[in-house]
Amino acid sequence: MPDSTDHDGHAEPSGHGAAGAHEPPKMVEASLDSPQFQVAAANPERVERGIAVMFVLGVVGFAGFGAAFWQNWSNVWLGVTLAVGFFGLGIGMVAWGKYLMPRGPFSESRHTNEPTDEEREVFLQDLSSRGKIALGRRSYLLKILSVAGGIFGIVAIFPLLRSLGPLPGSLFYNTSWKKGSYLVSPEGRYVHIDDLDKGGVLTVFPENDVGGPLSQTILIRPETSGYVVTAPGRETWGPEGYLAFSKVCTHAGCPVALYQKALDELLCPCHQSIFEVGPGRPATPVFGPAPRPLPQLPLYVDSKGYLRAQNRYDEPVGPGFWERGNL
Amino acid sequence: MIDGLYKWIDNRLNISGGTRKLVNKIFPDHWSFMLGEIALYSFVILLATGVFLTLYFEPSQQQVVYHGSYLPLVGQKMSEAFQSTINLSFAVRCGLLMRQMHHWAANIFVGSIVVHMCRVFFTGGFRRPRELNWIIGVNLMIFAIFNGFLGYSLPDDLVSGTGIRISFSILESLPGGSYIATWLFGGQFPGTLLIDRFFIIHVLILPAAIAGLLAAHLGLLVKQKHTAFAGNGATEKNVVGAPMWPTFLAKTNGFLFLVAGVTALLAATVQINPIWQYGPYVPYKVSYAVQPDWYMGWLDGALRIMPSWEIVLPGHMIPNVFFPGILLPGITFTVLMFWPIIEARFRHDTLEHHILEEPRNNPWRTALGASVLAFYFVLFGASADDVLANYLSVSLNTVLVAFRYLVVLVPVIVYPVTYKICLELQHQPRASKTKRHNIVLRSADGGYSTVESAARPGDALPSFPPLPLDNLIIVGDGAGDGTNGADGAASNGSDTKRGIFRIPRSYR
Amino acid sequence: MGLRLLRKILIPFAALVIAASVGTLVIGRTHAAATGSSSAMSLTAQSALTQKAEAAAGYQLFQQHCSFCHGAQANGSTGLAPNLQGLGPGTVQLWLSAGWMPLKTPSAQPEAKYPIFTPQQIVDVAEWVASLHPGGVPIAPSLDLKTGSLSNGFSLFTETCAPCHTITGAGDALADGYHAPPLHGVTSQQIWEAVRSGPQNMPQFGPKNITPSELNDIVKYVTQVIEHPSHPGGIALGGVGPVAEGFVGLFAGVGACMVAAYWVGDRTERDEEDDEEHEHSGDDPTLAPEGANA
Repeated sequence: MPDSTDHDGHAEPSGHGAAGAHEPPKMVEASLDSPQFQVAAANPERVERGIAVMFVLGVVGFAGFGAAFWQNWSNVWLGVTLAVGFFGLGIGMVAWGKYLMPRGPFSESRHTNEPTDEEREVFLQDLSSRGKIALGRRSYLLKILSVAGGIFGIVAIFPLLRSLGPLPGSLFYNTSWKKGSYLVSPEGRYVHIDDLDKGGVLTVFPENDVGGPLSQTILIRPETSGYVVTAPGRETWGPEGYLAFSKVCTHAGCPVALYQKALDELLCPCHQSIFEVGPGRPATPVFGPAPRPLPQLPLYVDSKGYLRAQNRYDEPVGPGFWERGNL
Repeated sequence: MIDGLYKWIDNRLNISGGTRKLVNKIFPDHWSFMLGEIALYSFVILLATGVFLTLYFEPSQQQVVYHGSYLPLVGQKMSEAFQSTINLSFAVRCGLLMRQMHHWAANIFVGSIVVHMCRVFFTGGFRRPRELNWIIGVNLMIFAIFNGFLGYSLPDDLVSGTGIRISFSILESLPGGSYIATWLFGGQFPGTLLIDRFFIIHVLILPAAIAGLLAAHLGLLVKQKHTAFAGNGATEKNVVGAPMWPTFLAKTNGFLFLVAGVTALLAATVQINPIWQYGPYVPYKVSYAVQPDWYMGWLDGALRIMPSWEIVLPGHMIPNVFFPGILLPGITFTVLMFWPIIEARFRHDTLEHHILEEPRNNPWRTALGASVLAFYFVLFGASADDVLANYLSVSLNTVLVAFRYLVVLVPVIVYPVTYKICLELQHQPRASKTKRHNIVLRSADGGYSTVESAARPGDALPSFPPLPLDNLIIVGDGAGDGTNGADGAASNGSDTKRGIFRIPRSYR
Repeated sequence: MGLRLLRKILIPFAALVIAASVGTLVIGRTHAAATGSSSAMSLTAQSALTQKAEAAAGYQLFQQHCSFCHGAQANGSTGLAPNLQGLGPGTVQLWLSAGWMPLKTPSAQPEAKYPIFTPQQIVDVAEWVASLHPGGVPIAPSLDLKTGSLSNGFSLFTETCAPCHTITGAGDALADGYHAPPLHGVTSQQIWEAVRSGPQNMPQFGPKNITPSELNDIVKYVTQVIEHPSHPGGIALGGVGPVAEGFVGLFAGVGACMVAAYWVGDRTERDEEDDEEHEHSGDDPTLAPEGANA
């Protein structure tokens, strides 16, 4: 054995030898009395008794599991009895194999996984010579076959992928908010200007899409009266101290549901993006991974005092997507 | 009767001739070779408990009103998926135990894959000729992680629903993402199909893929045979250990029960994913302190500490989540998969290796591996930044910014430290070896000398040279009938005469 | 964790000592009769006469403990303490009964401590402050938790409370050093008043936002389920989600399996000397370090 291992411990890659024949294996003589055949335990009777106890424990555990199941006991009893059963069997079996079976070590020889050059040559020659006879003379058939296969591969994509769902179309660009949509709470109440106290918060939807995942909007009231102007051009978007922003985070789409009254900040619970809201603060992300402000929904108060949307969102809500571009 | 049946089958399948070698197969004894078995056996547990769960789980997003035994949910609208998960937890006997065992086994499954992979990585077990098996292993890990995520999503509870929302956003960020996302989900999020589709992937497609790859993984292992640590008579030309029958089979089956026992004990005592506390998923509702399971945690952490960059191109956009959600795992798994080839290139190492390296003897790889592990561990920590901030009573902002620095700093520190430790260990020739007590003796003329004490219980057992089972001639007692030994069988090809061994008469 | 535990133990203890000494030495003389029953504190049931008397008692307490920051007329002082007039007795009662007041420093987020006043004294102070200016949040009415809907409470809790306090009520860190406190150990009265008054960073939910019956349901859910959760599956790991579960899975689960493997397998790497002793077939099992960069 030492001759086959060089000083770095690397096996010779050409383990079969240049001639390609197995070297006759070196035979080893051993008596059945040799230590490798003896059990590892110093005191086999004791180990044997221990294993018996473990197996009995396994029996008790499984029987207990049966009893626990039959009596409809709680989860902890079911699980503990089952675990006791498993542990009993497991420890017993491992101990049996570890202490009461021939301790070894034994070995088997290992040969390289490389074929000899000759084997490789013969195989490749077989392959190519048969190929030449069978395929080479009818190569145009092979070409047509591969075209057919290729076309099948391409058209198979359609049912595999295209049937799965609709084209995105305007799905990512539009919400259900329309000009004049009423603001409705999740419980179905139309939101009136008296409904929120200063520092109040409410999730709202357009009346035709209550609970809509993309239409969800967070309504806050940082002031009690007057227009809250978050940015130039939005002078009339926040009547009676109300502001409405898309509740879908521009980072990964979680509901931006944490309104922190004292800080006038919205916090996203998933990845901790912080958006500043309030006068002069158009939900600009100031912390965390969110890259864009939350879109603001322009509001107005109708003659009966109900809050309604002046218009739909002026940009796609939610996280960015590849086709979104610089909208 | 049994003899007759065996003969009947054997005459048709030639078991006696073909399976002999498998019975003789040698498995190394070192404990670190059993880490992969943890993964194998937790997969077995996952299949067993999973079959139980499918009998009661209803993969549907059909909205129903709950009328079960858990009072706080009575009257709430929820999907059939959530309702059936609640029912199988509370109304089906043993259902909660099976659910918790399934979830814990999933955690252990991925965890043991990682641990097993670390062992293979740090000891160079992936080197030629085992590169292919490494690649299969990395794919097994990817599938395991994906399937874990899908399983976590199936109950359609508030916490997992938020996770699906994030995964939808990550899909959106791919080139062509709005198409990919709508097709996979059958429409804009959440649609009505995702639980159905996740279910079939979770219970059929990915388990089949995992089972297939697992078969290939083990098949290659049998064909290429185990690696081995140096010492104990191991060389590049042999495999040293215990034979499949009976020693290894006894141990490994026992080990299956031990893994099952650990899983059952965890499921009995530690609650996992209490969805009745979370309630059904409603797209506009959310809970704070939500994270994915740990094997996705590093991705969530990366999402959290990512700076708020987004690249806007004319007409297109590379969204923020693309970098931590697509690019990071993409690079991670690609590099991991092709690491054997990369390293062989880098080290100009084209030789076959069957003897493992001690990690300390290759400080460069060990330090790199430790540093990369540290990187992902910091990312995992970042996925709990809010919980950490709360427990440590530190500002959330501070914790998040600290993680942005730590994710760079910790790996940079870990590399040289590990490298140094490896070098130090190299100069400790007996490091990691079991030591014996030294006895200090004083001679009559006052000189001192030390001798090693005799072996005591717990010390290393005396070792013997391995007996090559395939080239063994049994002599003396017990060899009388001549069937035990081999007689130069390899040269004439009559392999069947060579035996593993017969139990000696002196055996008790 | 340690800090928090320390604080949990030490602060109530200190507060207890202070409250006890202050209570016996100072308050005891001026208000010996005040024992107070915590359950029925709705003042609407009490006569105007006792109201007046209690308001007077509250005046004494306020001047002794609160006026230093909030001023003798509870109208606050700039940069130090807010004006309390018009906030309503419910707000005052919440801050005092939660132990938030008095603050350690004027800028810190209040921490829950053992309250310095008895429940009756708190009502006195609240009534006196309320007598200065009408309006604000009233003291919580006695809630009928037998009739409310647990399920509706759960649903509303998920919608309005869980985003900050977490779905298990464990609380969590908010932006800029604030945190949402845990909901374990709060009284139904405190929940009611907190929802209505919106202390500090918490939004304020008026009766048109969360209706009285809805609030009743939320209080029912928090006091009966969040504060007394059932954990049929075993140890709950603090209810902070899958990261804690991951640690258990990795360290207890995989760890225990590794320990088992350590026992099942052979861990002793045998010494070279031993091998030689037993006439091992020869080759040196130690490998030279491989690679040039080793």
